[in-house]
Amino acid sequence: MGAVIEAVGLRKVFGDHVAVEGLDLGVERGEVFGLLGPNGAGKTTTIRMLTTLLAPSAGTARVCGFDVSTRPDEVRRRIGYVMQTVAYRGLLTGRECVEIEASLYHVPRREVRRRAAEALDAVGLLPHADRRWTTYSGGMKKRLDLACGLLHSPEVLVLDEPSLGLDVQSRHNVWEYVRDRCARGATILLATNYLDEADRLCDRVAIIDHGRVVTEGSPAELKRSVSADVVQVTCGEPERLRRSIAREPWVRDIVAGDSGGLHVYVEDAAVALPAVMRLGLEQGIELERVTYSQPSLDDVFLLHTGRELREAEVAS
Amino acid sequence: MRTEPAVLRQRAADGRAGAKARGQWAQEVLALARRWWIELLRERLNLVLSVAQPAIWLVFFGAGVERAIDAEVIGTDDYVGFMLAGIVTFTIVGNGVSGAMPLLWDKETGYLDRLMSMPIARSSVIVSRFVFQVAQQSAQILLVVLVALLLGVRIATGPLGLLVILVAAALLTMSVTAAFSALAYAVPQHGTFFAIAGFVSLPLLFMSNAFVPLDAMPGWMAAVARLNPLTYAIEAMRTLVIDGWTSSIVWSLAVLALAAALCLAAGVQQFRKQTGERVQG
Repeated sequence: MGAVIEAVGLRKVFGDHVAVEGLDLGVERGEVFGLLGPNGAGKTTTIRMLTTLLAPSAGTARVCGFDVSTRPDEVRRRIGYVMQTVAYRGLLTGRECVEIEASLYHVPRREVRRRAAEALDAVGLLPHADRRWTTYSGGMKKRLDLACGLLHSPEVLVLDEPSLGLDVQSRHNVWEYVRDRCARGATILLATNYLDEADRLCDRVAIIDHGRVVTEGSPAELKRSVSADVVQVTCGEPERLRRSIAREPWVRDIVAGDSGGLHVYVEDAAVALPAVMRLGLEQGIELERVTYSQPSLDDVFLLHTGRELREAEVAS
Repeated sequence: MRTEPAVLRQRAADGRAGAKARGQWAQEVLALARRWWIELLRERLNLVLSVAQPAIWLVFFGAGVERAIDAEVIGTDDYVGFMLAGIVTFTIVGNGVSGAMPLLWDKETGYLDRLMSMPIARSSVIVSRFVFQVAQQSAQILLVVLVALLLGVRIATGPLGLLVILVAAALLTMSVTAAFSALAYAVPQHGTFFAIAGFVSLPLLFMSNAFVPLDAMPGWMAAVARLNPLTYAIEAMRTLVIDGWTSSIVWSLAVLALAAALCLAAGVQQFRKQTGERVQG
């Protein structure tokens, strides 16, 4: 069995705006796959094409072996989709919402009650099942959506920014849910712009910017590909410092961060730190601050796009 | 001629698949109708007002306007009986607008996306709305007929005629519900929907025989009214109330069925279009 989700040259154009530009994707069975990128990078558009809500302008995508354009019903039967915004459900109670959706997924009539209760229980909402869903907190509403994504035991769960705007506790609930579903054999595609979410939760991550996959791999691989360590230097004359250390053998790459500091990617911070300080001193450049850390996915993003993820978000 | 066993087996399998698909479709329609039903019960004021409205209209309209009407022109001295069909149709148009509103909200709040990511038939959303509307409206019609009976109207065709009135109303409801649903899906946002719905509703009534018989209209207006499905529903209902059984009723119902099929096709087509292209990142 090949990839569960397979996209080749996927493209979506709205008028003269290209939202997704030739995107290739391969998600293997049983993995948690993350789409990481700033808002407006094309994550949601990609997801809407994969969930059959949007017809691709070009390219193909298959989910569980079925083409999203020609066999949308087969795709819909096999996916659970949890949208970015909580779906509005009128005056219903939590239980009614879930039962109605269970019927819409063709759960046999006699099992609807039980299956709905199980799904509510799985997300811890059973004690609140008979309250109107409008009285729920943000986190509970999200859990209601998550429960609805389970009703037909889908092979693939597609979660669009599942922890957006949630408090810490609710985020952990979402993460637990994802891990649990994965342990039960589901394949999970998750869009996020949270670095820690991608880092902790995903087996593999595709970093997306301007509608393209910039790079792809496991979080560990991606970070290793950047360098072993990152030395961050804040100083008065970053350009001069950059020129004076650029040729040094221990430097793999230097990128100017948006906040004016330099990110120096190195093999070993133990070697690089004293060298940076010595060179700064020799050149008479005043160093305000020198720190080092392991590279994060933000560094991966910075290295491939020249922008920091957080900044890219504000700009777009 | 003998048929190969393999072919027979295939046919049996197709038959089973077809029955399963129909069963699933019925389940979808009922589940969605349950949603509308629960909402209606929780909006009691809305429920009471909407059920009572046509009866109140009949009383005030009947009592107020009757004396100003020339019995020669409308062809009967039973003005309330004459107006009954018009009031029922008026109610159907009003219900068509309010009935499309939940679809509009679903579209704007994103629940429509959730529905469309499910393996449901595209027609079941509109059909569920239609099933629900017909049920709600039948209650309204029965009440308004009851009030008409109290005001002295006698239905020429009796209880069976009342049943046919409900059928004619249901067919028109399908047209109107589907047409306003199509509009709800087609418009960019709800302001446009209300602008168009408000603009269309009253002319739709005036350009029919709701208040004036076709014979009494100027020729061009009668020609326009002939293209209006409302005219056929009113004609059928009015004949059933005032004149009794005639063959023209069958003709009117056939036109209504055709209009219903066309509008439903348009509604489903607009719904499909929503699936294909939605500009929303």
